[in-house]
Amino acid sequence: MNQAELWDTLRTILDPEVGLNIVDLGLVRSVAVEGDVVRVQMTLTSPGCPMGASLVDGVRAALRTHGAQFEPEVELVWDPPWSPDDILPAARALLARG
Amino acid sequence: MEVLSPPSGSVRREPQVPLRPGGAGLTPGAVSGSDSSATALAALAANGPPVAEPSRTEPRSQRRPRHQPQPVSSSAQALSGVPIAAAGAGASRSLAFMGTGVMSLGVGLAILAVRPDLLATYHYNQHIIAVTHLVVLGFLASILMGAMYQLVPVALETTLHNGALVRPHFLAHMVGVAGMVATFWVWDMKQVGHFGSLLALGAGCFVYNLVRTLRRAPRWSVVATALASVLGWFSLTLLAGLYLATAKCWDFSPFDPVAAMHAHAHLGVVGVFVLPIVGVSLKLVPMFTLSEVQSPRRAGWAVALINAGLALVVVTVLWRSAMKPAAGLVLVAGLALYGMELRAILRARRRAALDWGLRHFLLALVLLAPVSVLGLVLSWPGLPATQLTTQLENLYGYLGILGVAGVAVMGMLYKIVPFLVWYRAYGDRVGREPVPTLADLVSPMLQAAGFWTIVLCLGLTSAGIVVADEGWVRAGNLVGVASVILMAANLARVAAHLRWPRRTARSGRTP
Repeated sequence: MNQAELWDTLRTILDPEVGLNIVDLGLVRSVAVEGDVVRVQMTLTSPGCPMGASLVDGVRAALRTHGAQFEPEVELVWDPPWSPDDILPAARALLARG
Repeated sequence: MEVLSPPSGSVRREPQVPLRPGGAGLTPGAVSGSDSSATALAALAANGPPVAEPSRTEPRSQRRPRHQPQPVSSSAQALSGVPIAAAGAGASRSLAFMGTGVMSLGVGLAILAVRPDLLATYHYNQHIIAVTHLVVLGFLASILMGAMYQLVPVALETTLHNGALVRPHFLAHMVGVAGMVATFWVWDMKQVGHFGSLLALGAGCFVYNLVRTLRRAPRWSVVATALASVLGWFSLTLLAGLYLATAKCWDFSPFDPVAAMHAHAHLGVVGVFVLPIVGVSLKLVPMFTLSEVQSPRRAGWAVALINAGLALVVVTVLWRSAMKPAAGLVLVAGLALYGMELRAILRARRRAALDWGLRHFLLALVLLAPVSVLGLVLSWPGLPATQLTTQLENLYGYLGILGVAGVAVMGMLYKIVPFLVWYRAYGDRVGREPVPTLADLVSPMLQAAGFWTIVLCLGLTSAGIVVADEGWVRAGNLVGVASVILMAANLARVAAHLRWPRRTARSGRTP
């Protein structure tokens, strides 16, 4: 699995409230590959986000499903906290259009 | 180690991927279906942003100071120390509260359609008091408490103290409300007191559970202040209600009974319903609209003034003071500040589309304006007691309970029920198979029909109350019953996902 496929895999995870995938929403901070481990740093729109556990678990499941050769590790990071400014510009433009 | 997203001085999260064959990017037209936002978002979800333009509109360093991300857990399995709300915990019991609420509203409006005289004539009789408690406790309180079990941990970024206490609370609440409404109807105040005590026992579990939850919040905030105030006002309202019932049995109260009832009503409607709507919305409206609180100071003052204003209103109403309008002005000032903050939050939102849940909520807030003006007018000491003024009192109570609190709670239902159902039906399927979004669970057509019928219901009934016309009140409440049926049908459609989860939903990759 190459870089593009890893990011594409993460794009399959939608935030169910907003309807955007977690990459476009700016929740994925970084993706790194170390040997057979793929490490994802991500955040949530709020530490109290009720979807948090599902999204984190979903990322691991998606990486296992689509990249069987990798062992996924997901790190939740809160600093800096997510802000609406983190939404990718194209997604922001779409949201602004309604 | 190969880092796929360079962790430079400022955090960069833009995926460094090449354009996909065929041209990834925003191609709404490429997705089947015609409509705008859903289609466009589906296209975005499917294709991702145009990755040839990975940079943001301005450098991150200019937006706000940031540092390198600090990991707090080494894997998703190690979430115990992470402040992720225990979403969906006790979801079935929260749904039971909500089912009870919707049913109570339907029955309440049906009674008003059968007995329109209850609103079209002077309001102090046992039957309108019974219906009021059915709507306030059966509908509003059931849904609000069921929702608070879910929303308070989210708003406070923590978990509920004890899920096991929810069940005894629900049982005591159900029996308590049913008994109170029935015994109010036949005006057996001793039994009202007994059932009220049972209800208070269940509510005690609720207050204890949420106080303990508040205490484990990682940080205190304006939302926490608002919610702590709500629990205080809720306890006072219950005690005031029990006091009133006891005073009816043994006639020991030094207070004028009508003044005491008005004080009890304000404690309940403003303290228990308007205040949590204010508090929770300061967290959730920014979350749903992708915005931020624009002035925490203004929000803090709003909550403080609402609390102070309510305390002053209750005291001046109870003692029939001429200072009632001044007290009311303090309360209205707090509500006005809140309205200004909410307007600023909405103007700064990144998500332009307002779903029907939010539209219900905003309608309720718009109705706060005429209700506030009406309250100030009716608080005027020299106001003559004519048929019009007594009908305006009816209108004030009706719009305050059903227009403001009721419609806000309906909006809340459209947000929380889909979430609870989604979490149970699809929460553990994310990443394993395509799952629907929350918006996919509800029918926008039924929501729109529900919204406009409740607007019609409020309009017809309000006009009927003012001109004391039973026909208009009956028509309004029949439309209201239709609106509740539409809402129940929509929520049943949502709940059906628990039994028949959808397997072929769209996902980020396959719209």
